[in-house]
Formats: sequence, structure tokens, C-alpha cells
Amino acid sequence: MSLKFSPPLFDVERLSFERQGNLVLNNASFTILPGEYCAIIGPNGGGKTTLIRLLLGLEKPTSGMIRLFGSEQKRFKAWSRIGYVPQRSALIDSSFPATVREVVGMGRYAQRGIFGFESSEDKDAIEEAMELMGVRDLSERLIGNLSGGQRQRVMISRALASNPEVLIVDEPNTGVDVESQHRFYELLRHLNRTKKVSILFITHDIGVIAEDISRVLFVNQTLLVSQNPAEMIRCDEMSRLYGTPAHVVCHNH
Amino acid sequence: MLEMLDYPFMQRALIAGLIIAVLASLSGSFIVLRRYSLLSETLAHVSLVGVAIGLLFGIAPLWMAIAASLVASWLIEYLRSVHGLYSDSVLAIFLSGSLALAIVIVSMAGSFNASLFSYLFGSILSVSNEDLWVMGGFGALGMGLLLAFFKELYFIAFDEEVARASGIRVALLNFMLVSVIAVIIAISIRVVGTLLIGALMVIPPVAAIRFGMGFYPTTLLSVVIALISVVAGLSLSYLFSLPSGAAIVLCLLVFFVVALVINRR
Repeated sequence: MSLKFSPPLFDVERLSFERQGNLVLNNASFTILPGEYCAIIGPNGGGKTTLIRLLLGLEKPTSGMIRLFGSEQKRFKAWSRIGYVPQRSALIDSSFPATVREVVGMGRYAQRGIFGFESSEDKDAIEEAMELMGVRDLSERLIGNLSGGQRQRVMISRALASNPEVLIVDEPNTGVDVESQHRFYELLRHLNRTKKVSILFITHDIGVIAEDISRVLFVNQTLLVSQNPAEMIRCDEMSRLYGTPAHVVCHNH
Repeated sequence: MLEMLDYPFMQRALIAGLIIAVLASLSGSFIVLRRYSLLSETLAHVSLVGVAIGLLFGIAPLWMAIAASLVASWLIEYLRSVHGLYSDSVLAIFLSGSLALAIVIVSMAGSFNASLFSYLFGSILSVSNEDLWVMGGFGALGMGLLLAFFKELYFIAFDEEVARASGIRVALLNFMLVSVIAVIIAISIRVVGTLLIGALMVIPPVAAIRFGMGFYPTTLLSVVIALISVVAGLSLSYLFSLPSGAAIVLCLLVFFVVALVINRR
């Protein structure tokens, strides 16, 4: 029997970040392994989005080290292995001239190179990503004419078009109706279980995905990693972490 | 009307105009989508400083306009991206500052006011063979760069953060784009004039966007609008002895109004 070693997707050591003299993230260390479905939770302004931006190289850490797929971040080139859906993805200028097909196609741009025309491989990947997220019928529609939920699915399609091994999703349900949110959670579960895409997911609605996730990263300037999501969503634990009385409400969506 | 093409000056103006129409509308699409339209106006005013310096010291005004516009474009992008200043504030500072500088230079040597007038509003008589070679050379270079990185520039215009996260070198491409735009503006001033080149960059994409198509057809339509406007504008300029830049911009405005009326939302 041969054992294949896969390095962690993210390996973070003693990561700190200051913005204009204010400490945003302090001495965070964690690893994310292939196949994991991790939720990042914490209060607003606690550093969740900053942590994601640091992982993606959009911010430079004040100190600490980040390894992506076993490589030091500054030497890492294979960014197409990481799909990213930012927080404000459903908020798009309604007059922007972009069809759904064009937006999803952006997910392949970094792999195409200078003057690179769309190959049959690119076309297949785009079609598959649109099919997976159920937006193929919308391909010629302008992105600005879609509903919040439809836009959200287009943005995830774009992230999936590069065939990433990990999908980073930052509070994607802003401005999205409850039914679309429910569909969205099902899609994430499908991607993780069937397509083996690892997921790192910032959310305030941890209860809904508690059964799916393997770990919870609680970020509030410092980082706390819990291997037991069910334990973490208890009222007393949430109250302790958020520093304010919290009530966990269970619902079906 | 075709007899106007018998004149070498008209042939040169038409070739120059067509080069400018393609370059200005193509690059203009990106600045319009990034809410950066004032960049063209600002760099046009900076080009005027280059022209004024060139006329004052007897150096080819076109080369001085290219140099001034390029340096200003790098400074603007540096202040915006590195120092985090608001884009519109930086542009406003450069716009008024360069105009002030140009006026001071002009007032220092009032003898070249007539020449300067043709740079302000464009003149079909002023395009020389040398100008045409410079336009052709820089135009080909600018066109090559725009086409080489067309999809990346589109991605950046749509979502700069995700473009960067996907490994696209956003900072470098932003500098490249403003440099190409700076050169396009500087080489356009002979035909369209410094005060009106901004319209050739902004109006075609704005009119094309009204038709509610995807980016690639919108860009193509924008180029077509610019080409037709330049040909029509130069023809009007020839027939009625009008400044070519003003005639071109009026043709562009006709397209804009038609696009607004057809696509009322």
C-alpha cells in the first residue's frame, strides 16, 4: 500500500497583523488540511476577513508565516488552486456590461496567459462550473439583471471555473433571500463531499452548517480552533467567545 | 465629398483619426468601467503643459506631450495606489495644477498662441508625416499591450480584489494601462485637441454600454461609434472649416443621445 502525502492547504504560524497601529490579528496559528470544511466565526471587526485576505496575499502580515500547499506564500504561484468568493459578491453595479458567461470565464483568465485564447479545456471548465451552480440557462444574461441569489451562484461558478482545491467564501449571504441561502449551503455540502473541494467559510450562521463542518475557527483578534462545532455553538460558549449574552436559535434554513 | 481624400493633409488626418478612434475607445472602456473617466481629461491637460514647454523651448511638442503625460500618469497611479489618495481628488489636483502651469508658460511667451490653439481644439491641417509615424509606432505598441492584457484589464475593472487573489498582477497592469492611456492622449492632440480627447475616450463606451450587451460586444460597438464619429467629424471639419476636435465630439454626442433615446430604462 502506498501512502501519498498531501501538505496542508494552509499552514499558518504566529500570524499577526496591525492596521495603522491597531492590532487586528494576534499570533494566530492553524492548519487547514485537504478535504476539510471549516467555518470561521467571530464578531464584526474581529479579524475574520483580514485573516482571509492575509491567506490570499491581499494584505501583508506584520509578522508570522503562511504556507500555501506546502510553499511559502511569497513563492506561491498556483493561485488558481484557490477559489475566492468575497463578501460583497452579490453587490454588483447593475449597468456593468458583463454576461454571466463572461464573469464565469474570468475564473480561467489567470491560467490562459498573455494573448491566451479560450481553449476547449477552458470552455469545458466554464460550462461545468455553470452547470454545477445551476446558472447555465442564465449564461447570456447580464449579471446586473440577476437577483442577489443568482449573482451569488455566478460568483461561486467563477471561483469554481479554475477547478480549485479549496474554496474560500466570505459571508456570502449578504442581501440574499432565505431560500437561496438554503440552496447555497446544500451546494457547499455537495462540493465538499462529492467534488472533494475543501471549504473555508466565514459565516454568522454557524448553526445551519454545524453538521457539515469539521472545525470552527473563532477569530476575535486572537484565534481559537475548535474540533467540536456542536460544542462551540452552545449558548454559554458563544456568550463567552463573543463577550456578550448570546442565544442560539435553531431553525430549518 | 470623397475629393477631400485627394489632399495629402486630409489623408494624414484620416489615418491619424482612425488610429486614435480605435485606441481611445478601446482604452476608454476600461477607465469608464472603473469610474476613472476624469483621467483622460486630466492627462489631456497635462499634455498641454508638454506642448507649451515644447513650443517655448523649440522642442517637438508631440514628444514633450508624451513625456509630460507619461510622468503625470505614473504619479497619479502612484499616489492613488501606494498612498491611498482618492482617485477623483488626485485627478482634480493634477487637472487644475497642469492647467495653471500651462497658462503660466503660455503667458511667459505669448508668441505661440495661434499654434497652441490648434493643440487645444485639434486641426486637420496640423498632422505631419512625422506625427503619423509617431502615432503609428506608439499606436501599435499601445494596441498590442491592450490586446495582450485585454481579459486581465477587464477582470480588474470588474473585480480588482478577486483578480489580484487569482494571481493577476494588478498593480503592474494598472501602471501599464495608465501609461498606454497617457501615450494615446498625447498622440491624439493633433487631431482631436487636448480639451476634447477626453470625449473620444468616454462617450463611445458610455453610449455602447446603454445597449445592455456583454463586455466584448460593448467594446466592439464602442470602437465602431468612435470610428464613424471620427470619419464624420473630419468630413464636417473639411466641408465647413470647423476645428476637427469639436466636429468629432459633436458627432459622438449624436451617438450618445441616440443611445439614450433608444435604450431608455
